[in-house]
Amino acid sequence: MNKKTDVLQGTLALMVLKTLDVLGSLHGYGIARRIEQISGDVLAVNQGTLYPVLLKLEQEGAIASEWGASENNRRARFYKLTREGRKQLQLETQGWEQTAAIISRFFEAKAEKLS
Amino acid sequence: MKSLRRFFARLFNLATRTSQDARLREEIEEHIAMQTAENIRAGLSPAEARRQAFLKFGAVESMKEAHRAERGLPSIESFIQDFRYAFRSLQRTPGLTFFVILTLAIGIGMVSGTFSMADALIFRLYPVPHPSGIVSLVGTTQDSSFEDFSYREYLDLRDKTKSYDGVIANAQMEAVGFSAKPGDTSRVKGGMLVSGNYLQVLGVQPALGRSFRADEDQVPGRNAVVILGPEFWRHEFGGDPSVLGRTILLNGVDFTVIGVAPEKFQGMQIFSHPDFYMPLAMARVFATNRQKNFFEDRDDRELTLRARLKPGVTLQQAQNELTVLARNFEHDYPNLNRNRGAAVHTQFEMRTRNDDQNWKFMVIFLTLALAVLLVACTNVAGLLLSRARARTHEVALRLALGAGRTRLIRLLLSESLILAFAGGLAGAAIGYGFIEWFHTFQTVIFMTDLPNAIPFQMDTRVLTATLALSLLSAIACGLVPALQSSHTDVVSGLKSSEVDLPGRKRLWGRNVLVIAQVSGSLMLLTASFLMYRGFKHDLLEGTSFTKDHLLMVGFDPRLVQYDAAKTQQFYKLLSERMRETPGVQSEALTQNIPMGQDGQDDFDGLAFVPEGIQMPRNRESFTSTMDTIDEGYFTTFNIPILQGRDFLSSDTADSPRVAIVNEFFAKHYWPNQNAIGKRFRLDSSVGTPVQIVGITQSVKYAGSSEKAMDFIYLPLSQHPIPRMILMLHSEGDPLQLVQPLKDVMRTLDPNLPMLRTMAYSDFYENTAIKGPGIAIKLVAAMGAAGLFLAIAGLYGVIAYNVSRRTREIGIRMALGACASDVLRLVMGKGLLLVSIGTAIGLVMGFAVERAMNSMLFNVGGVDLVAYLVVVPSLLIVTMLAAYIPARKASQIAPTQALRYE
Repeated sequence: MNKKTDVLQGTLALMVLKTLDVLGSLHGYGIARRIEQISGDVLAVNQGTLYPVLLKLEQEGAIASEWGASENNRRARFYKLTREGRKQLQLETQGWEQTAAIISRFFEAKAEKLS
Repeated sequence: MKSLRRFFARLFNLATRTSQDARLREEIEEHIAMQTAENIRAGLSPAEARRQAFLKFGAVESMKEAHRAERGLPSIESFIQDFRYAFRSLQRTPGLTFFVILTLAIGIGMVSGTFSMADALIFRLYPVPHPSGIVSLVGTTQDSSFEDFSYREYLDLRDKTKSYDGVIANAQMEAVGFSAKPGDTSRVKGGMLVSGNYLQVLGVQPALGRSFRADEDQVPGRNAVVILGPEFWRHEFGGDPSVLGRTILLNGVDFTVIGVAPEKFQGMQIFSHPDFYMPLAMARVFATNRQKNFFEDRDDRELTLRARLKPGVTLQQAQNELTVLARNFEHDYPNLNRNRGAAVHTQFEMRTRNDDQNWKFMVIFLTLALAVLLVACTNVAGLLLSRARARTHEVALRLALGAGRTRLIRLLLSESLILAFAGGLAGAAIGYGFIEWFHTFQTVIFMTDLPNAIPFQMDTRVLTATLALSLLSAIACGLVPALQSSHTDVVSGLKSSEVDLPGRKRLWGRNVLVIAQVSGSLMLLTASFLMYRGFKHDLLEGTSFTKDHLLMVGFDPRLVQYDAAKTQQFYKLLSERMRETPGVQSEALTQNIPMGQDGQDDFDGLAFVPEGIQMPRNRESFTSTMDTIDEGYFTTFNIPILQGRDFLSSDTADSPRVAIVNEFFAKHYWPNQNAIGKRFRLDSSVGTPVQIVGITQSVKYAGSSEKAMDFIYLPLSQHPIPRMILMLHSEGDPLQLVQPLKDVMRTLDPNLPMLRTMAYSDFYENTAIKGPGIAIKLVAAMGAAGLFLAIAGLYGVIAYNVSRRTREIGIRMALGACASDVLRLVMGKGLLLVSIGTAIGLVMGFAVERAMNSMLFNVGGVDLVAYLVVVPSLLIVTMLAAYIPARKASQIAPTQALRYE
């Protein structure tokens, strides 16, 4: 694993949380689809990487899972956000927004403004 | 918090082995199915749709692995794998495994056994809260660095020091007559006079009742109160709580029980536990020295002082303060305190003081035990090394299949961890047996009526130390082989199962091991042999006095409140009556028994100033050990008087004071003159003059290992002592005199107890021969263990070398070498190693001998006999260990050897 995937793992977890926050209970494929739709090609090649992330979040207690029936009536594992997960999402969103704001300010900064 | 929860979930999965593989498989299938359906909707053919779905999902296996790693704790899992594998591979070689465990067990057992002794004698802290704050205050003189203080000095120190949260004093009373109620015959118990603040300062709360009040220790003789020791309370009163307020008799005086000390406070001594505690103000009831007034005389020094350092005060500050106070004493009382200093010592310093033999023995035992462990470890390392070599193929295969070096080292180390753990457990068992064995000597070591306990035990401290030790030895034994085999060259390792790499580096390591073993065991053997010879030697010299046909009986008339005059009268009558008893050849009274050696009968010191000799400018007086005896002593013990005369019945309290000194004393102070007729003064240059009337042969006084020393005998008639021992020289069995003695005692005083009644030969046997015998056995056991390990190690290494060179030997023989050439080839190597090991071992042996001589024995110089016995026997045994495999090698048929593998 290289650094790029580390970053991906982190952001992926946040994306999963946000997706579940918006859409409520969802199975793995649904989450993958949703992330793909919004983020473009982050998951285009490696949808599978989603599952270890789901497990990690579950073991941390941020999400919970149970068996349910999918749209075409097949057995599927459904994930949903827990209260703790919601709290975590809030915190991480804040953190992320702060970081993003700082970084974007850096990028916007022009040489003459700094002098 | 989050990660903790995750950790526990993973640990839970690991422990329950929850299999979530099925769930994951189902999820993946579902995912692929949905994606396929989606793709079909987008217009792809079913086969292509499924292919695209798989492509999009990515590498399934690597994902599964990531999932699995996330689920459990991979590091622990692989550790468990390692251990399971290590177990299996050890099971495959049960003989080797057993031998390694046995070897380690012997080494670790020796150390844990000795450590339990060292722990009890040196390391264990006082059984009080915050024990490290307790320090000892001692007086120092030119002859001794550990002097007691007098009552007056104690009061001054207590009131004038500012470094402490209380200064406490105590004086051990070895023989106190105890009876639970009036009319009972009194029995001898051991008590402790303590200052009123003793328990408070130590931080000990009575289990029952209360501590002494401050006012109970102020007026001499007013408050007869006593606190019982926990063991005594249980034995004498069955643990009855109503004992509080009851009256018991101590030396015939009524004492009121006010408390019982808690179970975990058995006193501040290692060996003896006080039966009861009395306030110092009651000292007169137990007075030992009638000539002195305990409460007034500043030179009646009988008190052991301890203090609790105030938090934040350093030992140095306390020492500085004490130095100033001691100088003030010197200034205020120049006659009594000249050249008398004071020092503060920690508990550890007190236990390792240089006049205490216990810890010297401890240091020697521990060193030897560690040497055994070292030999054991090198042995195991050698075996593991051989084993690792035999596994080159396996290791190469693992490396080829992609095992990391760290993983490989971990695997091999877990094998040695298992070995060491098993060895540690077995070693703890051996150590336990060792301690139990030692407990069987309890009666031998303490030949007294008083309860004493050997405090050695296998407690958690010792167990922890044992396990830590086995862990350490695992790493020591296993790391080198593990590191080495992880360097295996994959290509050549796969080609043949046994590879000889170019270069001699590896062999070198093994050779060092053999050398270490041989030298280590040589040192151990030398030490045990020297110990044996040292004790034998010590026993031979200065112990020619009579030991057989002697009955010894102790008396202490203080137990029944005799005053000085009555005591003297009693001893006078006792000697007269016994002398007339049929069967008694001669009779003697003495303050101490020769070779008492158990600390109970320390000889008194006597300060004196010889007349006509210029005192060194910085000295007020000399001191010598002394004994008080009557006129039958030298006859009874058959110690020759070389010059002058024996004590006579005409030496009475009213006649001029006389003394008999030993030869050493006479030569020491009057090297070129006749000491007969010379005089010395007691205590100081203005003290009572005493004339030397006789010179006796120098003998051993306290113990067999003592150095020659000055000795003065004073006659009982002129130097009355309450506690004396009667020695009766019998015609037949000394024990037959017990009944006649009892008859005499009935006429004199039926209430006076007879203490320690036994044949002197039994006493001597126990204290002077069996006691040191234990030490010899201990060291001999270590020497034997070391030799056994060294032989096994040497045999193993040489046999292994031979087996590796089988092919080479075959070629040599095919080319015309004969059996003797092969023998020489193989033996030569073994001999070289043994001789290097012997040389190093000899050097270490000399070092040990020097250390032992300076610490324990009187023998100077090198004990050649020891080396003449030890070195050749070690050489022969080790040569045999080399010869057997060498002979095997020389008998190999060349054809067979060449076909080997």
